Amino acid sequence: METKPKIALFQCQWCLYSEPDQYWVDHNLPPSIRLMKVSCTGRINTLHILNAIQGGADGVMISGCRPEKCHFKEGNLSALRQHEEFLNLLDYIGYERDRVRFVWLDLQDRGRIQQELADFENKLQELSTANTLATRINAPEGEVHV
Amino acid sequence: MSELIAKLKSEIKRLFDEDVVDVVIAFKKADSPLRPQPAFYRKGDSLEDLEYNSLCQNNLANYLTRYPHETRIGIVVRGCESRSVNALVVEKQHPRENLFKIGIPCQGIVDLRKIVKQTGEDVSGYKEDQEKISVVFKNKEYQFDRKDVLHDSCLRCVHPNPVNPDVLLGDPLPEGDPGVLRQAVESFEALTKQERYTWFQQEAERCIRCYACREACPMCYCTECFVDHNPPRWTESTISPAGTQAWHIIRAFHQTGRCTSCGACERACPMDIKMTYLTDKLNEDMLNQYDFAPGMDDTTQPPFASFNLDDKNRFVA
Repeated sequence: METKPKIALFQCQWCLYSEPDQYWVDHNLPPSIRLMKVSCTGRINTLHILNAIQGGADGVMISGCRPEKCHFKEGNLSALRQHEEFLNLLDYIGYERDRVRFVWLDLQDRGRIQQELADFENKLQELSTANTLATRINAPEGEVHV
Repeated sequence: MSELIAKLKSEIKRLFDEDVVDVVIAFKKADSPLRPQPAFYRKGDSLEDLEYNSLCQNNLANYLTRYPHETRIGIVVRGCESRSVNALVVEKQHPRENLFKIGIPCQGIVDLRKIVKQTGEDVSGYKEDQEKISVVFKNKEYQFDRKDVLHDSCLRCVHPNPVNPDVLLGDPLPEGDPGVLRQAVESFEALTKQERYTWFQQEAERCIRCYACREACPMCYCTECFVDHNPPRWTESTISPAGTQAWHIIRAFHQTGRCTSCGACERACPMDIKMTYLTDKLNEDMLNQYDFAPGMDDTTQPPFASFNLDDKNRFVA
């Protein structure tokens, strides 16, 4: 049986304008997708992305607000500069750049997040698994990993 | 070189006499002639053991952040150090008015490893002039061309002259060729994805996590580094593959738009791991995308700190 690629979804809590979408993300996500809800894309550290990758995620998706729509005025601008460059660096050392994807959502983008996740899943299945960074050693069962 | 040291001594003496600075950061002679050490002179100290030659490995800007802002610091700067100082001033690590930069045009730092590889560890004498480096090992003299033993990052140096020094000792040198700067990046980019990853893996996973690169770097001044922080742990702090890879990726990434390519990290590394190919790439991206080169003046904020709505066209997808 083919296993579905594991996706880490970093979602800005303000970016989904439609309530059904937010409900779907909060409650009905498929088990292969992990949700990390953040207060703004500017809150995401590059280490969060790296940790998701090293923790075994096949892909990382970051959904945030369009420019000028940021709840905190310019969190997404800072995030874009940093994460774009971080992807350049990962690409440079041989990691598949396509494994990290940004989705910038606007007011009218109802139902888009489901579509984007499905697309991303398909894309990840096409990619080879050769150049993935070394994964972390997981904490033993039952222990709290700090 | 002794002429330059004499000039340096009289300049430092003048600074103390006229009460311009409280402390001067420079180099002094050490037990081995191959390893001059950073020295911190205060008023009344003897300047007898002051030293300056191409073997001075440290980036002195590293010690700037260890003084309170009120301390008036005189600092001996070469090209890369002056840019590091500028970058630190931009990041408000020391006020510019409490700094006195004694600039020396730099002919490049000699890589100890390249010399020791051909002679041996216990070198007893060292001499240099414009073209030649000569060392004495077991009563035998070895001659090297300066170009052959320069450190890799100095071979790629573009700005050997200090940027806006308060006083410049010695004649300015011609600027380097920006094309040369790309060499390390270019040769790495020419490899395929698989080869690049393998290379990175081999380099990163030799790391013993001693953090000498961090301690040698003037821009790594955080009181608590992300690898030391716990809990929660950001990364594995052991020498596991994931831990060393994460350290190398993030250490380089934290230097984006801040690294002045002095190469102090590589010179400090006991495992001889290449690191500048990562930071050079990031710097090149900063130059191409935001037209920013770190340390070229002491007011411009680095790109990650100066985002604005002009970026909005870059939001694709």
